Amino acid sequence: MLPLVCIFREIRRAAVHTHRKSRVTTLHQLVSTFNGVPAGLADADTIFALSSGHGRCGVAVVRVSGSASSMALRCMAGLKRRLPSPRTALLRSITDPHSKEILDRGLVLWFPGPHSFTGEDSVEFHIHGGPAVITAVLQALGSMPGMRPAEAGEFTRRAFQAGKLGLTEVEGLGDLIHAETEAQRRQALRQMSGDLERLYQGWSHRLKRCLAHVEAFIDFSEDELIEDGVLERVDSSVSTLLAEIERHLKDERRGERLRSGVHVVIAGATNAGKSSLLNTLCQRPAAIVSSIAGTTRDVVETGLDIGGFPVLLSDTAGLRDSTDLIEQEGVRRARERVQQADLTLVVVDSVLLPFEVQKAAGTLQENLTRVLPDLKQPDKDRCLLVLNKTDLLPEAQRQKLERELKGVSGLPPVCLISCQTHEGLQDFLSVLQSRVKTLCGDPLSDAPTLTQARHRAHLQQCVAALAQYQKLRDTDLALAAEGVRLALTSLGRITGKLGAEEILDIIFKDFCIGK
Amino acid sequence: ALIRSLQPVRTIHSLVSRCISHLSRQCYDVIVVGGGHAGTEAAAAAARMGAETLLVTQKIHTIGALSCNPSLGGVGKGHLVREVDALDGLCGRAGDWAGINFSILNRSKGPAVWGPRAQLDRQRYREFIQGELRSISRLTVLEGSVEDLLVAEPSPDEPGSHRVTGISLENVLNPITASSVVLTTGTFLSGSIFVGQTTSPGGRIGDAPSSAGLSHTLKERLGLRVGRLRTGTPPRIVKESVDFALAELHPPDRRPTPFSFMNTHTRCKEQVPCYLTYTTPGVERVVQESLHLNCHIQQDTKGPRYCPSIESRVLRFPGRSHQVWLEPEGVTSDLLYPQGLSMTMPPEMQLRLIREIPALHRAEIHSPGYGVQYDYVCPTQLSSALQVKTTQGLFLAGQINGTTGYEEAAAQGLWAGVNAACRALSTPPVSLSRTESYIGVLIDDLVCRGVTEPYRMFTSRAEFRTALRPDNADLRLTPKGYELGCVSPSRYQEAMRVQRSLQDAMAALQALTLSTARCREKLPDVRVSESKNAALTGMELLQYKELSFETLASVFPERLSSYLEFSQRLKIEAVYKPHCDINKKEIERIQKEENMFLPQDIDYFSLPASLSQEAREILDRVRPTTLGAATRLEGITPAAVVSLYNYVQFAEKKGENGQQKTTRSK
Repeated sequence: MLPLVCIFREIRRAAVHTHRKSRVTTLHQLVSTFNGVPAGLADADTIFALSSGHGRCGVAVVRVSGSASSMALRCMAGLKRRLPSPRTALLRSITDPHSKEILDRGLVLWFPGPHSFTGEDSVEFHIHGGPAVITAVLQALGSMPGMRPAEAGEFTRRAFQAGKLGLTEVEGLGDLIHAETEAQRRQALRQMSGDLERLYQGWSHRLKRCLAHVEAFIDFSEDELIEDGVLERVDSSVSTLLAEIERHLKDERRGERLRSGVHVVIAGATNAGKSSLLNTLCQRPAAIVSSIAGTTRDVVETGLDIGGFPVLLSDTAGLRDSTDLIEQEGVRRARERVQQADLTLVVVDSVLLPFEVQKAAGTLQENLTRVLPDLKQPDKDRCLLVLNKTDLLPEAQRQKLERELKGVSGLPPVCLISCQTHEGLQDFLSVLQSRVKTLCGDPLSDAPTLTQARHRAHLQQCVAALAQYQKLRDTDLALAAEGVRLALTSLGRITGKLGAEEILDIIFKDFCIGK
Repeated sequence: ALIRSLQPVRTIHSLVSRCISHLSRQCYDVIVVGGGHAGTEAAAAAARMGAETLLVTQKIHTIGALSCNPSLGGVGKGHLVREVDALDGLCGRAGDWAGINFSILNRSKGPAVWGPRAQLDRQRYREFIQGELRSISRLTVLEGSVEDLLVAEPSPDEPGSHRVTGISLENVLNPITASSVVLTTGTFLSGSIFVGQTTSPGGRIGDAPSSAGLSHTLKERLGLRVGRLRTGTPPRIVKESVDFALAELHPPDRRPTPFSFMNTHTRCKEQVPCYLTYTTPGVERVVQESLHLNCHIQQDTKGPRYCPSIESRVLRFPGRSHQVWLEPEGVTSDLLYPQGLSMTMPPEMQLRLIREIPALHRAEIHSPGYGVQYDYVCPTQLSSALQVKTTQGLFLAGQINGTTGYEEAAAQGLWAGVNAACRALSTPPVSLSRTESYIGVLIDDLVCRGVTEPYRMFTSRAEFRTALRPDNADLRLTPKGYELGCVSPSRYQEAMRVQRSLQDAMAALQALTLSTARCREKLPDVRVSESKNAALTGMELLQYKELSFETLASVFPERLSSYLEFSQRLKIEAVYKPHCDINKKEIERIQKEENMFLPQDIDYFSLPASLSQEAREILDRVRPTTLGAATRLEGITPAAVVSLYNYVQFAEKKGENGQQKTTRSK
């Protein structure tokens, strides 16, 4: 059973910022989440909705789907005689069907089923984006018989039921609708066009063959002439697949990050200017700033668009030993955030650095260790050192630090900024942007990346199950085959396509079985 | 241990009647039509359930005949035999009585897929089945030809548009009535026999065709959809004309393993071997040359893909050498059965063909091979109790449902017999879940998915293969069968004894804990991994391939030696337990869904649920009885299942829609 409804719900939500654990959804869970949508909505209804985003915009698109679409088009676009040619834009006055009052002048498009997104007759009204116009058109549509506003995700659900979309395609579409940033839009487009679907289908197909061959070996081999080497071929296919899926999983959450945002955490000692940095980056006073050490106690979060990539920025409490229970909790939360972070900005008050560069480097190293106690060398690109308050330094000292700290080995990149004067902010932003970009990967190059935590969980199950095959292959083939079955089910949960009869079909295609 | 005599009991009353005038009554609880594997199990099961049962067959002499290959069991099929036996059916014990060559297939691939199999002595098998039937009280056997079914108006208390009330016999004036009729007509329903270019009506050579009235009633009066399938059988070869020196000898297992849970040994003293040989390019040539003379092969009626004729094997996979098994037909039989040489070409070409095989270069044919085409009733028209959904009191089992194989027939026959008796005795119908048995998988596949070719059981059809093993069929089914009434007290007591002993033994194994150091000291041959510091229990130790229960018991005799009788079963339980535990949740989920019943009278086309037209058409055609069955239909999307579920919940709350109409067992 597939977490289908979860997907439709997902579509309803704004781009999700928090990384949620995915799970296998059974029918019962499915049904309990489904109760939000009223039962008994017959497909006979014609639905409509504003398909472009809410809020002020140049052009708004209102979409209609269902058998009454043509009637709506005739009544509202003054097309009494005949419908426009399919899929061709036509400029019309759009009128209220009852009062005949002109509501707007815009484009209308007619998509007769089944050649439409939902597979049903559909109409699009491209109108001006003012709230008054949109409301008037939606009200006019709602006043006609057999028409009702669409439920969240209902267009997609109809498209899915009409077989127009595969499961990963639906997910890609949901993301597209909510792509808040340009890069997200590109990845969503890519997924929707089926790259990921093709990748997973390809694996699924190969796994089906593996399973079919193992099953053939179990159900037929002994006196029914299955040729030699069948299992050996399965062994090598399983190893190859395993390696490929593991490589795909090792994209280090790039796709997921692009979808739900890179987690960037600001951390460091108290009063280093962490909250000021957050406010500077999001260009609004999101966090309270004061000269009192320990002002920030809880985690303050904000979403940002950095160079087209979504970033979830968190400001945390300054790290120090405190007897204050609330502050202790704040520090604990700060440490927890740092552990989950994709990128940590370690903020240091540059005024507190010793004058000599070597000593300053030592102090920075200490700061780094305090924030990230178990930082290993290769993880250095997971953090940046931000030296704040450079406006308080003598210019010569600032230049010296900037010049000489770059050469110190063992330190992550160092940026000198002043949140007060915004000096050095541009350079810092470009460093930050290139980091974020690396973390997300370029959605248009390379192999398609993982975009959903749900996919990741199923792929991990798949890997574990294939390992079970390898482990048990020589001791108990029935149990080993169970591993391949499980692997296939896990993949099937992503792509939504799996049939038991298919296995037998492959067996009979590949082997001459005669008994 | 309880060792039941292998000799069939033939004491009590012999209720075999060759003539209608000898019948003591005109009215029975259950009538079974057909005396093959499905019919005999159905009749025996119905009588065991307490129903007055009549078995009608064309020839009493052919009851229990093995029409095709002289063997029973195999991979998947062996599972069915064990399950039929666990429900007190006949075929397992008959196999132990008649078997002359026993082996467990797949021995190296894990106990879940072991395939107990035996070559049978045809004569002995028939003797045993006939003897058993004679010994069952409440069962009468009648020789006669069924002319038609008696069809009446439906009873208003049950769904359905017709009701079957009995049968009429050829050349007999008075009909015989019954609450339930089980049809097990095999290949006889509109059967035609093909040899070369000649065709004649019939289901088996040497037997009269079945009545056209029956076929007409099913199709026209009851409106059942039927399809056509084909099968075939090889020529029988005269044993002494075979050159065995040119074939490979394949000896059976040294110690035969009985099919039946009630038997500790089999009858035959000295086993008879099988021989293996291969086809040559000459065989392919004869097939090609005879194609124009072969009616059967030119028709595109669906034949079994896994039991193909030599013609279709050669045509589909040319240029290969195919296996041919030479199987004994019995201890005293002069014949051999060439497994893999099923063919329908003219007899003279058949002789030419077999002589292209080295070991058969001077072989003589005793009787030629032939093909059969026959009608089957599309099984999606049946409920999981194997009753025709639209016809009250009519049950179908065996090849008439589109299956192939003795074991598949026996399994359906038994379950149809149980349900026919349930109906006659006014108890609710019962079904077996695919989570608990291969019989459940078989019936669920048939009634939910239907067939497009003769259906054969494979272990790959069972989702929970690691739990549905041949070794534990008694634990899975015997208690349930006893509760239903189709299992005798003695078998039930034996199953309970086994269950208790296994539980005690597993508790003792669980209580036995050893530190890794002690393991190495006491069991030096077991490669316990170094990293494991925690103590290991006996159950965990048995998961090591190299450790048998016997070895463990020899180290701890005071704790374990009393369970040596179950060594093999305990080893299997220990190895599979972790995997079965993982499956448990999924099994429970499926069972829950199988307990959500869909009303049989839903109008899917007007159902106010969010369902695509395609989904509506599928649901309307198949009419799944439960939500679980609906989820397994091809073309039913998860979204459709959710809509359906919502509707059912909604309807249930409103207390309408005849939910209660579909009566079901617990």
